[in-house]
Amino acid sequence: MKDLKTTYLGLPIKNPIVVGSSGLASTIGGIKKLAEAGAAAIVLKSIFEEEIKAEAEQTVGQQLGMDENNLEFYDYYDYQVKNEVLEGYVSLIREAKEAVDIPIIASINCTSYSEWVSFAHKIEEAGADAIELNIFKLPFGIKDEAAEVEKVYFDIVRKVKEHLSIPVGIKLASYFTNLGNVIHRLSHSGVEGLVLFNRFTSIDYDIENDQVITGKVYSNSDEYVNSLRWISIASSTAGCDMVASTGVHDYRTMVKMMLAGASAVEVVSAIYKEGPEVIGAMLKELEAWMERRNVESIAEFKGRLSQGKSSNPEVFERVQFMRYFSGHKH
Amino acid sequence: MTVTKEFLKEEREQAWRVDIRKLLKNKERTGFTRVHMGEVDPMERIQSNIEVNTGLTEDEAVNEARRCLDCPDPTCISGCPVEINIPKFIKRIEQGEFLQAAQVLKETSALPAVCGRVCPQEKQCEAKCFYQVKMKKDPVAIGHLERFAADYERESGQISIPEVATANGIKVAVIGSGPAGLTFAGDMAKQGYDVTVFEALHEIGGVLKYGIPEFRLPNSIVDVEINSLKKMGVKFENNFIVGRTATIEDLKEEGFEGFFTGSGAGLPRFMNIPGENYIGILSSNEYLTRVNLMDAANPETDTPIISGKNVAVIGGGNTAMDSVRTAKRLGANRAMIIYRRSMEEMPARVEEIKHAEEEGIEFLTLTNPVEYFADETGRVNKVRVQKMELGEPDASGRRRPVAIEGSEYDIEVDTVVVSVGVSPNPLIPSSLPQLETTRWGTIVVDEEKLQTSIPEMFAGGDIVRGGATVILAMGDGRNAAAAMHKYLQDKLNA
Repeated sequence: MKDLKTTYLGLPIKNPIVVGSSGLASTIGGIKKLAEAGAAAIVLKSIFEEEIKAEAEQTVGQQLGMDENNLEFYDYYDYQVKNEVLEGYVSLIREAKEAVDIPIIASINCTSYSEWVSFAHKIEEAGADAIELNIFKLPFGIKDEAAEVEKVYFDIVRKVKEHLSIPVGIKLASYFTNLGNVIHRLSHSGVEGLVLFNRFTSIDYDIENDQVITGKVYSNSDEYVNSLRWISIASSTAGCDMVASTGVHDYRTMVKMMLAGASAVEVVSAIYKEGPEVIGAMLKELEAWMERRNVESIAEFKGRLSQGKSSNPEVFERVQFMRYFSGHKH
Repeated sequence: MTVTKEFLKEEREQAWRVDIRKLLKNKERTGFTRVHMGEVDPMERIQSNIEVNTGLTEDEAVNEARRCLDCPDPTCISGCPVEINIPKFIKRIEQGEFLQAAQVLKETSALPAVCGRVCPQEKQCEAKCFYQVKMKKDPVAIGHLERFAADYERESGQISIPEVATANGIKVAVIGSGPAGLTFAGDMAKQGYDVTVFEALHEIGGVLKYGIPEFRLPNSIVDVEINSLKKMGVKFENNFIVGRTATIEDLKEEGFEGFFTGSGAGLPRFMNIPGENYIGILSSNEYLTRVNLMDAANPETDTPIISGKNVAVIGGGNTAMDSVRTAKRLGANRAMIIYRRSMEEMPARVEEIKHAEEEGIEFLTLTNPVEYFADETGRVNKVRVQKMELGEPDASGRRRPVAIEGSEYDIEVDTVVVSVGVSPNPLIPSSLPQLETTRWGTIVVDEEKLQTSIPEMFAGGDIVRGGATVILAMGDGRNAAAAMHKYLQDKLNA
């Protein structure tokens, strides 16, 4: 038996596989299946403030009666919807905590500071072991300065940390002007973990019908490279746990991420594609690899190939790119 | 009574109406300006619960009635949920037959003195008035005239009681004594039914009593309307919670064959922001009920309310206005509305906002509370608010409030009244599992008949609509009565 114990957002977990935020954990039945399959922790489906607002608006649109006579009833309806959604989420957290013995992590996505705090409060009260802030800000505002975009992240972290005592993690996007600097600073901002990276739904075009359509919903197994690069660059100087997300489909990628310095990995698409059994299979293969490579614990090899421990650190950076492609000819 | 076009035409062609129309040319009628109802001076009225609006004098009422053109197609009636024959009662006022005017009101409305005070006429009958629609002039003051006629009748002591059909012996139960229930009860009594109204509180009148303050609707006015119903044979049971004191099944065993649920929306909502459980933060339902029904403004009562000096009321509806103006009357130095949109988007009636402004109420618009703080005893002492700006229009057509990050600041408060809406009363639905409800707790009904998934049960008002005005609830009561009458008669004749 190998020692697979590690940490996730500072929490001790029995192995490195965390089920990432998704619909897989939207019901108690789903959560139990994931836990039985061997997951070390589960991140619940994100609550989106924008979804709540949209639902409230839809209801108001349908229900607003004659001459707006019931406007008073619907004036604060978004709060009503929000409270109901939050109550549902709080119940899910409570029931999940009773149903399984692994950490349950809540995930929220808000658009305003006050909502982040208010949502986070409820979730802490409900007994979640930690909270993952899914800060979903695609920098498409052409007038937004990079510093302003970065500031939002730091402000949210500060406000949430002021109010919470449970561990806080941030799921980051890679869209920063100075990604290395942002990762480093955020990892020292008081959070207990950074999850690299958030995978946004992509758009695609249907060229026969001139329509914008949703791109691939699930990640591919070769999408891990960006996370791998940045975890290896940032892990040795990070002030918190680094967690890999996007493209972790098999034990090999999981091992790579941990060699780069990740303490855990978040898996979603592989479970959607192959079922919860994939967790057990990945863990078995991890143990086999550890046996093959003669290591006894995660701690022994975590970060072994990070940039900080490399004798040839430039291999992680642009030099590598130049070496491969400068002589490339068609 | 069914108000058809033919019926209205027939009524309009009656000799007295024709004669009245001939008294003045339309040009003369449209030349008059709309009457302004007198109001008690703001500084005087905030010292007590005296009614703010003073009503019209006889001369004022007759002059205003002269403005009405008695249109061949009275669009104003289509704006009234209980289809009051508006031109007819107004012409009775012009004629000087004020008692007859009141009788016209009572043909279709069980609560004319109430409606004349609290209906948003500017959004209903008056919004459809010819003056408003075609001439872009101030509409005829239908609401003021309605109040005048009802008040005149009451003060004259010659209160007419609508005619009641011979008793048919069929027992029907009404759950809730608010505007929907009272209207339903009146219409069913007129048809000869044996009607009993069950009220959970110790006073009859529902939201008219517990929700609307004395200075806007004196309880004595409501009592007069309730007495009329009593005289029509309607029975009232106070302190009776249907679903707890007795179930629907118990009532069926007692012989009730039809049920109308008008139990309202008495469940307060909160914003669920940090600190909202501190002492001194209460819902507008609790605040107004305690003051209006439990004499809580009197320090000698068992459960007096604390008269805050800095009172913040959260929300922008009529209930918020009622709460903040009540706070002023209870002695607040600073009584303020905190509302996240601007004045333009406020759902409260224009008149209520105007009255509140006159009384020195502060309006902190585009401002939203985000957290409350308390002193060492747990009593609220501060509210943190955030400034808002208006974004794109939302589903209600109003511009959406968007938080301005970093704009938070604190306001000292010792009382906070949260008035951000109410939810349907859950008692009846929770005691009847087979009753179909929406996810919001409202009862599902057939839109025309107001019949629920339990065939013998009809429902209306806030328990169906979630939130509505007094007059819409009354319209539901009226439609439900017509539908239940048909249902019971069909059953009888089957």
